[in-house]
Amino acid sequence: MITFEGVTKRYPDGTVALDDVSLECPTGRITVFVGTSGGGKTTALRTINRMVEPTGGRVLIDGGDVRERRPAELRRGIGYVIQHAGLFPHRTIEDNIATVPYLLRWNKKKARATAHELMERVGLDPSMARRYPFQLSGGQQQRVGVARALAADPPIMLMDEPFSAVDPVVRGELQDEFLRLQDELHKTIVFVTHDIDEAIKLGDRVAVFQTGGKLVQVDAPEDLLARPADDFVAGFIGHDRGIRRLSFVPASGAPLTERDVLAADAPVERAREAGDGWVLVVDGDRRPLGWAATGVLPSSGTVGDAALAPIGHTFTVESDSVRAALDAAILSPSGRAVGVDGDGRLVGVADQHDLTAAIATSGAGVAAEPADTPPAEPVKGGAGD
Amino acid sequence: MNKLWNQIDLSWTWLTASAHWHGDEGITHRLLQHLFYSFVPLLAAALIGLAFGLIAGHTGRGGFVAISLANVARAIPTLGLVLILAVVEFSIVPVLIALVALAIPPILVNTYEGVRNVDEDAKDAARGMGMTGWGVLWRAEVPMALPLILLGLRTAAIQVVATATIAAIPGYGGLGRFIVDGLARNDYQLVVGGTVLVVLLALIVQVVFAALRRLVVSPGLLGSARSS
Amino acid sequence: MDIDWGWIGDHTGTLGDHAVIHIRLALLPVLFGLLISLPLGVLCRRWQWMFPPVLTVANILYAIPSLALYMVFVQYTGLTEATVMIPLTLYSLSVLVPNVVDGLGSVSEPVRQAATAMGFGPLRRLLQVELPIAVPIVIAGVRVAAVSSISLVAVGQLIGQGGLGYDILRGYQLTFQTQMVAASVLIVLLALVTDAVLVVVQRLLTPWARARGAS
Repeated sequence: MITFEGVTKRYPDGTVALDDVSLECPTGRITVFVGTSGGGKTTALRTINRMVEPTGGRVLIDGGDVRERRPAELRRGIGYVIQHAGLFPHRTIEDNIATVPYLLRWNKKKARATAHELMERVGLDPSMARRYPFQLSGGQQQRVGVARALAADPPIMLMDEPFSAVDPVVRGELQDEFLRLQDELHKTIVFVTHDIDEAIKLGDRVAVFQTGGKLVQVDAPEDLLARPADDFVAGFIGHDRGIRRLSFVPASGAPLTERDVLAADAPVERAREAGDGWVLVVDGDRRPLGWAATGVLPSSGTVGDAALAPIGHTFTVESDSVRAALDAAILSPSGRAVGVDGDGRLVGVADQHDLTAAIATSGAGVAAEPADTPPAEPVKGGAGD
Repeated sequence: MNKLWNQIDLSWTWLTASAHWHGDEGITHRLLQHLFYSFVPLLAAALIGLAFGLIAGHTGRGGFVAISLANVARAIPTLGLVLILAVVEFSIVPVLIALVALAIPPILVNTYEGVRNVDEDAKDAARGMGMTGWGVLWRAEVPMALPLILLGLRTAAIQVVATATIAAIPGYGGLGRFIVDGLARNDYQLVVGGTVLVVLLALIVQVVFAALRRLVVSPGLLGSARSS
Repeated sequence: MDIDWGWIGDHTGTLGDHAVIHIRLALLPVLFGLLISLPLGVLCRRWQWMFPPVLTVANILYAIPSLALYMVFVQYTGLTEATVMIPLTLYSLSVLVPNVVDGLGSVSEPVRQAATAMGFGPLRRLLQVELPIAVPIVIAGVRVAAVSSISLVAVGQLIGQGGLGYDILRGYQLTFQTQMVAASVLIVLLALVTDAVLVVVQRLLTPWARARGAS
């Protein structure tokens, strides 16, 4: 547990970078510091490894004041990842990763073995071990940066906008892998970002900083979305915070029907009976094929012969959120979302009204759980496909 | 240390004696000769160095050749060149040629590096706004490379001013005359006096280039560049 | 221009001896200059205000004609090799100090911060991170200093210590072109070979550096 007790940083010229910040970063969890630039989030991060010394208050790690430890030793026990990786250009990838083990005087063989193991862990081909940083892409360099921070297996990791400098696609991959890694490693992580989406995706707890170094709110992401503490936080989250909250509502709560679903070998007359609108056509294995418009069916034959409109994307009932389901519904020609199981077989269909009802009954409406309950896991994975 | 101080004192006496300033053997005449020996080669070297440096830097081609030639030029012993040429032709031309060879490398290398290292985005923007090759060179590359180009010119100028003393060895004038004659006659007063004049001249060159830098380099570029 | 090849054939031994002396007179000063400019450059990085005055002093030293500087030192160190090497050492500083400062400055801020955050103390950071990264720019300076030094040594012959400068001056006095030309060409070759060796040294020391322009 990392504890901030009334931490203040005031520079000699009078600027206040941190204003009486108190918060706890629980062990084994990801705490995200988010806020506008100049909000002091990076300064707060750097007080933990004494790269910045506060002018007031204390920072404690597991109850011990960080100032009681020598900076160099303290830092060797805390992983640190920064925006541009900060890899040493003059060292090979393996030696970059083994930097802290070398400082801790591990023998070279063990340090390198650890480095190779970590390369695989973060998704790098170990054949790159002897390359130099300039021979790697930005995303690969960032992976090396993460591996380097993990090398001495520190219980704490500080990450300062580690994924900001890579393109959105790579950033998404890095974020997903980061979450997967954290599931295995359970580090105490403090993560700084200016991107609220990243904060909500990655954080177990999110701390919002405001210009002038004020901490305005610390909450689980879904609580932050449900009850922003003030106008600043609401504005920072953005106007679509209602939609974003749906990421935390599991789609399994939505009522699904099998109304207007037909097998491909059903005669067209069955579809006409369904009335004006659309029917979903599935194959013999119950895999969705497409939507048939009842107004333009062929005069005879099966519904499989009809021209089918594409489904767009489906959602996976057990793992996706209502947000993914709603998105599927909006993009569907029929206005209905197709829910499937893990094997892609139809579970049921829901329209936008059904989904809205699910939101209301899930308790994720205006009222939410008390803030001190353990944070709920966000529903992982994007739209099913 | 006392010995050195004594010399400085003697040289001061020599420098300030008005009789030493007049006539064909006087300081004024030698100084003018020295300026002539310095200025002509510097001008020639600037024309050559700037032309090739700008072309290589702008086109990105021939850089390796330009730099290698500059390195060879740097390697030529000025004394050897002066004396060899002096044997072939007894005139001031050998000295001037040797000084041109001396002055080209710093001008060429700095011009090339200066133009080549102009921010790619800035060049791209210049092209994007519709500038032609010449426009990019004159309106973007040269102004942005000016601090480095001036640094190269200054280095060359100081080297030339200091090295032009060598003209005295095959028997020409300039401030080197005092040094070489003083050496021959064991007259250290003359040697140190001549040296002081050369160093003063070099300092004036420094000041002139500092002023030039203020005058022609955009203040927007001076913030990050080295200040001297 | 008439070259007497026979003379050259007869004198390869003496020319070789002079070349060895020449290289020693030229390169030891660069080595001393490097040993002085490394700590000096580090200090100039640490205390930025030091750099302009140090640079100005180096530039003024550079402006003193070598001939004159030799004369000054003759009175203290006599007609010895030291008298030639001290001025050359001073000259090399005007190239090496700025390059050491630039080299240390080429270490990017994220790298510096990453080193600090991983628990490098200031000295360890200097030795294991900053100086190694400065190597390409420092060697670029060493190349210029070495080549200039090799071509400057010849002037030392005016006080009796000039390596191949002896042959240049001797040939001039005897108006014997072959000796002058042979010595001058040898000096150029020595400079180019030294430069090439330094390029190879840099490649070996810094396999991590992207191809940089030679300057």
